[in-house]
Amino acid sequence: MNTKRLILISLIALSALILSACSGQAVSNNWHGLAADAERAYLSNGSFVYAVDLKTAKEVWRYPEEANSKLLYYATPVLTPDGQLLIGSAGTSHPFVSLDPATGKEKWVESFTKGKGAWLASPLVWNETIYIPNTDGFLYTLDMNGKEIADPIELGGALWSAPSTDGTLLYVTSLDHHLHIIDPAKGSVVTEPIDLGGAAPSSPAVGTDGVYVGSFASTVEFVQANNKHEVIATTENWIWGSPVVDSETLYYADLNGKVYSLDLATGSQNWDVVQPDGPVVASLLIVGDQIYVATEAGTLVALDREGKTVWEKTVGGKIYTTPVLSGDLILVAPYQADFVLAAYDADGKQAWTFVPEK
Amino acid sequence: MWDTIIINPMTNLLLWIYDILGHGPHMFGLAIILFTILIKVITWPLNASQVKGAQAMQELQNDKEWQEIQKKYAKDKERIAQEQMRIYKERGINPFASCLPTLIQFPIIIGLYQSITHALSVTPFDMLKLARAIYPFQNVEGIIPLNSTFLWMDLGRPESVQILGFALPTLAVVVALTTYVQSKLTMPTSTNPNDQSAQMTGMMSIYMPLLLGWFALNFASGIAVYFITSNLLGIIQYAATGRANWSNLLPGGNKKSSTKK
Repeated sequence: MNTKRLILISLIALSALILSACSGQAVSNNWHGLAADAERAYLSNGSFVYAVDLKTAKEVWRYPEEANSKLLYYATPVLTPDGQLLIGSAGTSHPFVSLDPATGKEKWVESFTKGKGAWLASPLVWNETIYIPNTDGFLYTLDMNGKEIADPIELGGALWSAPSTDGTLLYVTSLDHHLHIIDPAKGSVVTEPIDLGGAAPSSPAVGTDGVYVGSFASTVEFVQANNKHEVIATTENWIWGSPVVDSETLYYADLNGKVYSLDLATGSQNWDVVQPDGPVVASLLIVGDQIYVATEAGTLVALDREGKTVWEKTVGGKIYTTPVLSGDLILVAPYQADFVLAAYDADGKQAWTFVPEK
Repeated sequence: MWDTIIINPMTNLLLWIYDILGHGPHMFGLAIILFTILIKVITWPLNASQVKGAQAMQELQNDKEWQEIQKKYAKDKERIAQEQMRIYKERGINPFASCLPTLIQFPIIIGLYQSITHALSVTPFDMLKLARAIYPFQNVEGIIPLNSTFLWMDLGRPESVQILGFALPTLAVVVALTTYVQSKLTMPTSTNPNDQSAQMTGMMSIYMPLLLGWFALNFASGIAVYFITSNLLGIIQYAATGRANWSNLLPGGNKKSSTKK
């Protein structure tokens, strides 16, 4: 083989390698999902779902036991009242699994071989039924044993967030700019989808008379079951995380890093400018009199109800995952940090960090 | 750096075209086609210099003086190289002129592939990155997320058509076929049996269709749309110059015919 031929073949092989390296067929890169009960935190972290003991910060189990290139987990795992931990894969295979939270063993697996899309959204478990939105634009309905009990409802657009319920209807946001209202008893949409003016990546917040939805249109829309809707607030940039209703106040934040507190009775803002050190993607967490804000700059900030900073801690990495409360601990899952999980007490003191063993 | 110079401008250009087209179903595929046409127009002078360079090299291979030098110094490769450089200099031939457009293609292909996956944003993290990459003048809220449907394809995924239970990669076949046709049409004829460049071109006309077909088989079908459009435009461009060597498509055509000038 002469030199020119060797160079040619090498160049072709190299270009193939370069393109292979940037393959995007599977959902391969995203931030973590985090949930917790009184004993353990559950972290979906790509190839594995980890259960971490909250007292010892040790790994209790991981699922699956061996990494499988076709399986990736990023959705927030959901604990059910009957003792299941539910999560779907966002890899090239899309099984939806129920695990035993204590052991990590499979209780059941719905393979969803005909499902086209990835599971990035968490399911809603309500009335002993599991409602799971998929990136293929369908809402799937399973019983508590993982059997599909109704035809999937086609909504359109990729579905990235868990449905919300007001106790009667389901509210599902879609990236196709719409909020869909569904009557689960009929298994169909109730009204025409509501145009939000921008993609809606997070779940609606349920209030007393309707739901509140943030979107990439940089607005908060108030939507009632009878299809009436209005923009009640605007922001400087996209709203990514879900708004949070707390009594008569609605809390939300935008990608400019501004945190808002809207008085729902008067429609006025409770404070002027509260802007921690980076964009806010995660939803806010409200515990007692404190509002916890996690920023892309890797900072966890505790605010009081007046918007004043109570404490501020540098966690590291970038925080996109909504912090979770368990007992006295605030759990934070930073992305691209030296650890994947950290616990803080109410005074902002770091209790522990967790790094998975290889 | 790569993102700032290649990915972000390409992504914004694609999104801009998509927005102008009305950002509905099938429009992202059309945006890729228009984007490819634009790239072809921009690289037209380079392609013309490639053709010119290839022709000059080909004429050199059939040149009597050069063939005599090859015979005379058959056992002295260093001397042949010296003589070759002298002839290049005397006749103003740039041996790299025919390689440059091909080399430029690779960053475009890689950049386009990344731009397509970037623009289609299949995860929240991808979407967040996209939000940062989009230039302020774009109507970003209105166009995100992109509609990845084009004809029967999802442009973010490899293409196949289900026929009798089999997933047939039709686009990959079309990519391989059009690449083969293009390379055969542009392949000049050599009368010199020792012509290494003719051997190289011959090899390329086999390897490139296989390579690009493999890409189309395994990667987002948006890139296959780019390959097919690019190949068809290349064929049209070459045919328009009157230099297309159609007889090369026939078995043994390479030996029988001569290059049109």
